[in-house]
Amino acid sequence: MTTDLTLKTDRLTLRTFERSDLDDVLSYYSLPEVQRYLDWKARDKSEATTAFEAMRRQKRLTRPGEILTLGMVRKLDGAVMGHVSLRWTDATAGQGEIRFAVAPVYRRHGYCREAVSAVMDLAFNEYRLHRIFAVTAGDNEASARLLRALGMRLEAHYREHALFQGEWDEELHFAILSREWKRSEKIHELARHKVA
Amino acid sequence: MASAEEYALAMNTQVPLPATVQFAPDYPIVTERLALRPFSRGDVDAVYSYRSREDVSEYLFDQPMTHEECAEAVRARAGQIAFSNEGDKIVLAVERRDDARLIGEVSLIWRSVSDLQGEIGYIFHPDAHGHGYASEASRALLAFGFEVMGLHRVYARCDALNGGSERVMQRLGMRKEAHFREHAQFKGRWDEELIYAILEGEWFAPATSR
Repeated sequence: MTTDLTLKTDRLTLRTFERSDLDDVLSYYSLPEVQRYLDWKARDKSEATTAFEAMRRQKRLTRPGEILTLGMVRKLDGAVMGHVSLRWTDATAGQGEIRFAVAPVYRRHGYCREAVSAVMDLAFNEYRLHRIFAVTAGDNEASARLLRALGMRLEAHYREHALFQGEWDEELHFAILSREWKRSEKIHELARHKVA
Repeated sequence: MASAEEYALAMNTQVPLPATVQFAPDYPIVTERLALRPFSRGDVDAVYSYRSREDVSEYLFDQPMTHEECAEAVRARAGQIAFSNEGDKIVLAVERRDDARLIGEVSLIWRSVSDLQGEIGYIFHPDAHGHGYASEASRALLAFGFEVMGLHRVYARCDALNGGSERVMQRLGMRKEAHFREHAQFKGRWDEELIYAILEGEWFAPATSR
């Protein structure tokens, strides 16, 4: 028996991916402007499908190194708009990394902020992590804005630390400690559905 | 004191290197007051004199080392003198030229071949702190990294509480790129880490304070 995690916010249901989400995820996952900032490169449909299958198996955090990936589903119409992942990187120091992707058509409505905020609540309240960090490319201004808006601090700015497609890359690291996180009131319920 | 050229010639130690080696300094690397050379068996006591100390190990991953551990470290370091592959590291003994005393060690790691990245590190005997030896020796490794290996960026790390080490990085013209807060547990407390870096373009820029 397993338990699948579901978070609800004002406008979103955050839940683990199901097989039927494949087409929705592929529609944003393989877009160049999304790909640019993803760690897992998917150049074609088959690679994107592999990435989706991996995310679909990321259902719980039981040991360090594991990832929990929740799809970002709009309550209003069930649209799968993106996903948020939480990777448990270090048990003794209670560290976790947050990642997210949202389809370009659903940007600028605060959905991503709502989703990431709920996953941070989960990370600090449920998983009792001590610190959450996020890594973005130096030119990904939208992500940097979002992370700052969540109260995260810029802890690192690596300049020209790697080559990406022939250009020097910059990398930003944002982080926030548990005691600095302002718990949001946005999670209405933390439901665990039993699945046979 | 002999000129750097005379000193280098007199102390020159040709070491046979494997054919896979891509970069290896000519030893010793001679600076104004110092000579950087491979470690050898006779260095164990000198290494023990600083690596056995609590105040030296405080900000290092290692605990204070026993004489036997120092002997092992010296044996390992004697072979860390050239770069063949990514991840290779050179660790050199730093000797004061005027009294031939071994006062510390410096290292350069080839972190990424494709991205042209390197990392430097340094450990000095507390008796020898405060004279600019660490920056003088590290500067010689930065010169090798940028001018011979063609690195694009070299970084260094230290504990946020290690002000002496941070000042060395600043003196080298490195910029603070990171301050990680409580990102790990270190010897029973929260660890804070600083990363400083310098780019090729900054190294070759007209000298300012360097």
